[in-house]
Amino acid sequence: MLTVSGLGKQYPGASRPLFSHLDLGVSAGEIVALLGESGTGKSTLLNCIAGLETADSGSVGIGPQGLDIVRLGETARAALRARCIGFVFQAFHVLPTLTVAQNVALPLLLSQVAADEHVGRTQALLERVGLAGFGGRWPASLSGGELQRVAIARALVHHPALILADEPTGNLDPRTADGILSLFLERVREQAAGALIVTHSQQVAQCCDRILTLTPDGLV
Amino acid sequence: MTTLAWWLIRAQFRTRAAATCLSMLAIALGVALGYSIHLINEAALADFGRAMKVVQGDPDAVIAARDSSGGVPLATINAIARDPAVLAIAPVIETRVRIGNTGTPLRLIGLDVFSAAAVLPRLLPRNEGMTGGDIFGGRIFASPALLDRLGQRPGASVTLWRGDQRWQTTIAGDLPATGPDDLLLVADIAWVQEHFGPPDAVSEGRIRLAPDTDRANWRRDLAARLPADLLLRAAEDDQARVSNLSRAYRVNLNVLALVALLTGAFLVFATQLTAVAQRSTQFALLGVLGLSPRMRLLQVLLEGLAIGVPGALGGLALGYALALALTQRLGADLGGGYFSGSAPPIVPEVAPTLGFLTLGCAASLAGALYPAYLNRVQPLAQALKVGFLQHHRAGVPSHRRWRLPLLALSAFLMTRLPPAFDLPLAGYGSIALLLVLGVRSAPLLTQWLFGWLAARRLPAAQQIAVQNVAQAPLMAQVAASGLIVSFALTASMVIMVSSFRLAVNHWLDHVLPAPLYLRSKATPLPQDLLAGLERADAPFARVERMAQAALTIDARRPNVALLIRELERNNPAARLPFTGPLLTPPEDMAVVWVSEPMHEIYGIEPGQRLRLPLIGRVVDVFVGGIWRDYSRQFGAVTISRDDYLRLGGDFQPSDLALWPRPGQESAASDWLAGWTTGYGLELTDGIEIRHLSLSIFDKSFAVTYALEAAATLIGLFALAVTLAASVRLRARELATLGALGFDRRMLRRAVIFEGALIAAVGLLIGVACGIAIGAVLTHVVNPQAFHWRMSLAVPWLTVLGAAGLTLLAAVVASAYAAHQATRLPTAQILADVQ
Repeated sequence: MLTVSGLGKQYPGASRPLFSHLDLGVSAGEIVALLGESGTGKSTLLNCIAGLETADSGSVGIGPQGLDIVRLGETARAALRARCIGFVFQAFHVLPTLTVAQNVALPLLLSQVAADEHVGRTQALLERVGLAGFGGRWPASLSGGELQRVAIARALVHHPALILADEPTGNLDPRTADGILSLFLERVREQAAGALIVTHSQQVAQCCDRILTLTPDGLV
Repeated sequence: MTTLAWWLIRAQFRTRAAATCLSMLAIALGVALGYSIHLINEAALADFGRAMKVVQGDPDAVIAARDSSGGVPLATINAIARDPAVLAIAPVIETRVRIGNTGTPLRLIGLDVFSAAAVLPRLLPRNEGMTGGDIFGGRIFASPALLDRLGQRPGASVTLWRGDQRWQTTIAGDLPATGPDDLLLVADIAWVQEHFGPPDAVSEGRIRLAPDTDRANWRRDLAARLPADLLLRAAEDDQARVSNLSRAYRVNLNVLALVALLTGAFLVFATQLTAVAQRSTQFALLGVLGLSPRMRLLQVLLEGLAIGVPGALGGLALGYALALALTQRLGADLGGGYFSGSAPPIVPEVAPTLGFLTLGCAASLAGALYPAYLNRVQPLAQALKVGFLQHHRAGVPSHRRWRLPLLALSAFLMTRLPPAFDLPLAGYGSIALLLVLGVRSAPLLTQWLFGWLAARRLPAAQQIAVQNVAQAPLMAQVAASGLIVSFALTASMVIMVSSFRLAVNHWLDHVLPAPLYLRSKATPLPQDLLAGLERADAPFARVERMAQAALTIDARRPNVALLIRELERNNPAARLPFTGPLLTPPEDMAVVWVSEPMHEIYGIEPGQRLRLPLIGRVVDVFVGGIWRDYSRQFGAVTISRDDYLRLGGDFQPSDLALWPRPGQESAASDWLAGWTTGYGLELTDGIEIRHLSLSIFDKSFAVTYALEAAATLIGLFALAVTLAASVRLRARELATLGALGFDRRMLRRAVIFEGALIAAVGLLIGVACGIAIGAVLTHVVNPQAFHWRMSLAVPWLTVLGAAGLTLLAAVVASAYAAHQATRLPTAQILADVQ
């Protein structure tokens, strides 16, 4: 689902590369945790994988066809993200001006899924994340845990090949975090998607299939 | 994608209802003004054209004398009638008479009923049982509108007056094909000729050519054979002349409407930019989820269009209603004085309606263009993390600074260009460049001002304000730009109008030297009155007489006025306000003094020898100088009565300037009262004329003031919207300051100070641009569009007072933004995760 080869990135003006010659693979159904100290470039690596930042070297193959996102143009990168990647963020990033159901349906709209499937798939996934009946509500009326459930539903609704998650429980209290993490892992495994989770939490990492640590010398 | 676009548009309308509705309203206002001006003018021109067609018929050509006091010899009419290409020629004599003591002279048209049937069918009288040549029988026919006005019916006996001559006749019937505004009398041409002259000529010959004739060639051949005092016009010349009559005025009003539309576009710009900035995280998320950059750009453009389409549609409806209301209340004149005050029907046509709809949408799209571009280029990862990233730096990079002098130079050079199509297009272009220059120079001034302030030791709140502006330069520039554009336009109009008013005031001092004025409007004054004024017992120390005629110099342009005045040939400056040197004419040559508009339109220079169509022939005259005239836009030529008489002219005064003997002012008024009531003459005093002139002047600029006030309000609103959005973007920073110990008052003070600083920058540049644009309006647009020149006079007190008031209003707008920014509890803002 994800094949990273020889990836390198150095910011202009920096004395040394943030990372270089990184190799990484995530198979279908595999959940990989990415640990590392602050400033080692975990989020930048995630951005490079998603095509939000441009890598200086290497390649990032995504999806069953292994399309190299580094070589694609901006529009094609956006289309690839819409089709093959689901995102979960620490800060939820749920659009406050759309209802819960509309938020969840966003990837379906962007990946050109037939309109008559939207309602069914959205409702089904909202039920799977424990938010049945929440579709017509506005995000402002939801708690943090509920907002992250919406984000998880949104990340999975279009059956992406790869899920990228950046500190998915970082903004939640430990009890809620546990619940959300279980739900997230369960749903990802259910869809047999590959997942890369950036986290500082050993507890989150322990729940994953594989743990990688990003250090100044590379992935360990 | 359509669903997502629709969701986002609906969300935008729901969350930013006030700003969105105001943007729509501004677009609607611009479209409404332009559309109503267009509808009214089209209606007025159509009505004028229809009235002209009633009187003139539908001829292929018209032959007439260039001088209104001349005529077309009957021999010429007969020669043309013999041409095999001519199907019919209808000779016409037109003069002005009064019925009873009615104040307004009426058009009396003498025609030959047989030839008129072929060329002027709408002027034919109702024929009930009368046949052939005895249809008139020494009687007259009146249009139904005139019968209504006079309260008369066919069969009534009436007295026609011209000067002190009277003719008793009967109204035999009406003119059924004339319109509801046509005040006309028709009589037999021989009868009119017998009573009014000229004996061996007619006013015009209206020609219908055989169907297979090459009309253009025929007209060209005949024109080449005609003597210089005669003119052959085509129907399209008359249409062009009617259109030229009000063209510059219409264009000027349309430019004002465009200004309103421009402010509308600016409001869309401010609204959309702040909307993009506020939703930057949301757009970044959509980008991360797969919304392509092109779609992010299109989304903002679509939102602009969603403002533009309803705005423009509303504008069309409002424009139509405005046109209906204005024509019903004020007629089709629009304050320009070019058309009669009738209320013609308003008929919208598809193409112009679609054109104005497109213009409204285009303005809205133009306003959304830059915000859409910014939305497209936002770096997703950073925007998702920290929100809107402002790409524009506060300062102007040094390698781009040469653009400012280049803009200034281009604006100056455009003022040196001549008019295009008789319109000051380069002048308008120069104004646009000056506005761009003002907006582009804002970062430079901001950089300088804030750099200087940052180095000062300021109280904490003010220090924060300075730093905030430094961190949000784009928002500051947008807020300042609104004030620069709106205040520059307002100040420039105030400066131009003030300069113009001052010039008119001085001019009136010069051209209204007498205490009393008497005029008979297009008919000669009674000889008895003129003789009475000569008598020693008349209570007047001095009387100056003037006669008027009209000259056609160019068939496609409105006529030039010929003023025959009692002036001293060697001292015309005693009565005419000359703008330049006065040249001494050769002894053996008649001298004329041309008005400034005539000099501008026809390029006539002092010292030039001119061939003028006077008294039925072409006469060589010497141009002695140019005088200022603000009352006749299409030009006037003044000749002394002595020169006119020497050339063989017949001096029939229609206007008098009167100086009562000292102490006999009341006796003079009493002396004149009998004449004014008996002959329907108009007596006014100089002070009254001055007041009336200045009141007409003020009324004609009332629309302009209203538009500029609206522009300033929009500018202020843009400042409030932008400032509020800018502050909202920094809500977390402000909340953090609150948590660190800034109380609400300090935070509010910081935001108000920030707004005041931005407004001060905008107003400073706005005043400078306003003066420059005022100079362009005064020295370029006015002379090129209306042929009026004047000196620039900046009303400093008004301009600076208005700037002070606007600054005050900006502080109030900032206070609103400050209130919005600080109304939520600090803890809530800090805890807010989206």
